[in-house]
Amino acid sequence: MKGGGRMELKQEPIITLNALRMNYGDKEVLKGINLEVGKGQIIGYIGPNGAGKSTTVKIMLGLVTGYTGKVTILGQDISKGDVEYKRKIGYVPEVADIYDSLTAAEYLTFIGELYGLNYNEVDKKAKKLMEMFQIEDVYHSRMTSYSKGMKQKVLLISSLLHNPDILFYDEPLSGLDATSVMVVKKILRELASQGKTIFYSSHIMEVVEKISSRIILIKEGQVVADGSFEALKDKCKEGSLEEIFNQLTGASDHKKIAEEFVSVVQEGQKI
Amino acid sequence: MKDFIVLKFLDRFKRIFEKLGVDYAVMRRILQVKLIMDSRRVPTIMKNSSSKNTGMEDKKSSFNMSLLMYGLIGLMLVSLVLIGSNFIYQMSFVFGILIFMLMTSLISDFSSVLLDIRDKNIIFSKPVKSITLSMAKAIHILIYMFTITFSLTGIALIASLVKYGIIFFIMFLAEIILVDLFIVVLTALLYLFILRFFDGEKLKDIINYVQIILSITIAIGYQLLARLFSFVNLNMVFTPKWWQYFIVPLWFGAPFELIIHRNYKFTFLLLSILGVIVPIISIVVYLKLIPFFEENLQKLNNNSEQKKENKRFVNVISSIVCRTKSENAFFRFSCAMMKSEREFKLKVYPSLGFSLIFPFIFLFSDITGKGFTGIASSKMYLTIYFCALMLPTVIMMMKYSGNYKGAWIYKVAPIKDTSDIYKGVFKAFIVKLVAPVFTLESLIFIVIFGIRIVPDLILVFLNMTLYIVICFRAFRKALPFSEAFGTAQQSEGLIIIPIMFLLGGLALLHFIATLFTFGVLIYIIIALLVNAVAWKKAFNIIL
Repeated sequence: MKGGGRMELKQEPIITLNALRMNYGDKEVLKGINLEVGKGQIIGYIGPNGAGKSTTVKIMLGLVTGYTGKVTILGQDISKGDVEYKRKIGYVPEVADIYDSLTAAEYLTFIGELYGLNYNEVDKKAKKLMEMFQIEDVYHSRMTSYSKGMKQKVLLISSLLHNPDILFYDEPLSGLDATSVMVVKKILRELASQGKTIFYSSHIMEVVEKISSRIILIKEGQVVADGSFEALKDKCKEGSLEEIFNQLTGASDHKKIAEEFVSVVQEGQKI
Repeated sequence: MKDFIVLKFLDRFKRIFEKLGVDYAVMRRILQVKLIMDSRRVPTIMKNSSSKNTGMEDKKSSFNMSLLMYGLIGLMLVSLVLIGSNFIYQMSFVFGILIFMLMTSLISDFSSVLLDIRDKNIIFSKPVKSITLSMAKAIHILIYMFTITFSLTGIALIASLVKYGIIFFIMFLAEIILVDLFIVVLTALLYLFILRFFDGEKLKDIINYVQIILSITIAIGYQLLARLFSFVNLNMVFTPKWWQYFIVPLWFGAPFELIIHRNYKFTFLLLSILGVIVPIISIVVYLKLIPFFEENLQKLNNNSEQKKENKRFVNVISSIVCRTKSENAFFRFSCAMMKSEREFKLKVYPSLGFSLIFPFIFLFSDITGKGFTGIASSKMYLTIYFCALMLPTVIMMMKYSGNYKGAWIYKVAPIKDTSDIYKGVFKAFIVKLVAPVFTLESLIFIVIFGIRIVPDLILVFLNMTLYIVICFRAFRKALPFSEAFGTAQQSEGLIIIPIMFLLGGLALLHFIATLFTFGVLIYIIIALLVNAVAWKKAFNIIL
C-alpha cells in the first residue's frame, strides 16, 4: 500500500485544492494550501493544534464558507452551490456531534435517508454494521447511554452507510478500545484498497505513520511536508513520524519544556 | 417510526415548499427527527433506563403544564377582548401581552433550537441544500410558536368569534399569524446582531438574563394583571402622536378600529399598514441574512473575550470574613460559581428578585390604606423580613449545580474539616447574594421610614444570618454544587413551610423587642452571641 506519493499520480485527482486561503476575522488560518489527492490514497493530514486541519476539512465539506482559492472534488467546483458531491463523502467530525437523544437505529436511518438511501435498506445495513462492531444489542437504545467508544462506532458507521468514495476522518479512533482500533485500522486499509480515498487527521503519530500512504504536514496554515513516510524519513533523517513532526513544527525543545514544567511543579512550600 | 400530525398537515403544502427549492422529503425527515428529540429532551442526569422514563414524562408534562399556564394568561386576554369596544386600546393591549410572552418564551425556551450548531456538522455535511435546512429550522420553531400562541389566544379567538362575528375573528387570526412570524424573525435578527458584535458566551448570558426576567415578570404579572383593568380606561380617546408609530402593539390594534369601526382616520390606516408591511419586510430581510446568520453561528462556541477580573475585591473581602485557608478557598470558589453558572443563576436570581419585591407588595397595600405619612411612623418596616422569605429556597439550591460532576474534587482533595467548606460557601452566599439585596432594600426603607430604623435593620440582618444557619441545619445536607438540579428538589419542598413560620417567629421576637426601651439593642447583643455560637458549631457535621 505504501509509496503512493504525489509523483506517481496518474489518473484524475479526486480532490484538488488550489491556493486555498481562509481568514477568521483578522486571523489568517490557511495561507494558500495546494494539494492533489488521487484515488485510493490514505492521506495522513497532521499538524499542531490550530494549524488549520479541521478548517481544511470543513471547507471541503462546505461547512465553512468565505474561503478564497479553488476546491475541486470529484471534478466539481464546490463553490458553485451544488451539494451533490457530498453524496460521495463520508465524514467523522473531531467533536462527536451527534443527536444522542435518538436511538442508533433512528439516527443511522435518518443519516442514511439524508444521503438518499431508502429506510429499509439503511436499517438492514446499519444493523449489520452494528453487529460487526458488537454493539447490536444497543441498536434500539438511546445514545445518551452510550460510552464514548460506542458513539464513535456509530459515527464511523454513519459515515459509511452510503458507500462513499471519499472519507474525511478527524480523529476517528478516539475513545475506541485497543481491539476496535485494530479492526478500524484494517477496515481503513481495506477501504483504500477498494479504491476509496481517505483523508485522515490525527494527533496520534504512531497510527498515522502505520496506515498512511502519504503524509501531509501543515503548520500555521501552510503545507510544510508532503510525501510518503519513507520519503519524509529520508529527508529529515529521523526515525519516527513523531520525531519528524517535532523537527518540522519546530517543537524540538520539548525536553527543555518538560524539565521546566517539572521544576515548577516542585516549587513552593512542602506540604 | 413515529409520525406526527403536524407533518401530515405540512404534507398538504408540499408543492409550495418544492416551488421554493426545498427538498421536501428531506425537510420532513429532519423535522420528524427534531420532533422526536424534543419529546425526549431529558436532563442528562437520567442515565439509567428506569429513571429515564420518569424523567421523560416529567419533561413532557412540564411542557403541558406551561401550556396550561399560557392558557390561564389567555383567560386574561379573553376578558380584555370582551371588555368593551375601544378596540385600539384593548387589542393593542392584547397584542402587547402576546408579543411580550412570545418573545420571552422564544428566547428562553427555543434558543437551543435556533442556535443548535450540531445541525450544521451533522446535516450540512450531507447532500442537503441549505434552504432545506433553514426551512426545516424555521418550521420547527413555528410549530412551537403556534402551539404556544394558540394556547394563549385560543379561547380569546373563540370568544371574539361569538361576540364580534366572523370578520373580527379572521382579522384576529391573521394578525396573530403575522405577529408569530414577526417575532421569530425579530428574535433571529436580534441574535444575528448580538453574534455580529459579541461572542457566544455573551449571547448565552443574554439568554440567561431573559429567562430570569421572564420568570420574574410572570410571577409579578399575576399580581398586576388582576389590577390591570383599573389601568384600562375605556373612555379614553385616542389622540395620535408621532411616537405612537413606534409602539408595535398599536400596529396590530389599529386594523380593528379601521375595519370594524370603519374609522378611516389616516393614523389608523398608517398604523395598520405598518402592521402588515413590517413583518413582511422583516421576513424578506431575514431570508437574505440567513447565510450571515449561519456564518456567525460559528462564533457560538468561541470565547474570545478575556475577562479581566477584579480579583482584589474578592480577596480583600475573603480575608476579612474567613478564618482559615480552606475557608478562604471555598469562599472564592463559591463566588466564582455563583457568578458564572447560568443554571444556578436561573434558579436563584428570580427568587432574589422576589425577595426584593415582596416587602413592597405588603407595604404598598398598606400605603393605600393609611397614606404615606401614616406609614412612615409605624412599625411596617418589619415587612423587610419578607426579604428573607426566599432564603430557604436559595439555600436549598446551594447543593445543586449544572456541573455537579466536578464535585469529585471534594472527595479527592485532602479536606480535613467539612465545616470550612460550608462556612466559606455560606459567607460567599451572604456577601454575593444576600448583602446586595438587603442593602438595596434597607436604603429604600431608610428613605421611607427614616434613619431611626438603622438599629432594627442591623437586627434584621443578624436574624437573617442566623436564619441561614437554621435553614442549613433543617435541610438535607450535601456538599455545595455537588448534585444535579431537579433530582430531589420536590421531596424537600415541604419542609420549607415550617421553616418559613420560624422566620415569622424571629420577626415576632423583633416586634416584641421594639415594645421595650433598649429592647432592640439588647436583642442585637443576644443575636450577636447566638450567631457567634451558631456559626461556630452548626457546620461541624459529618456527611
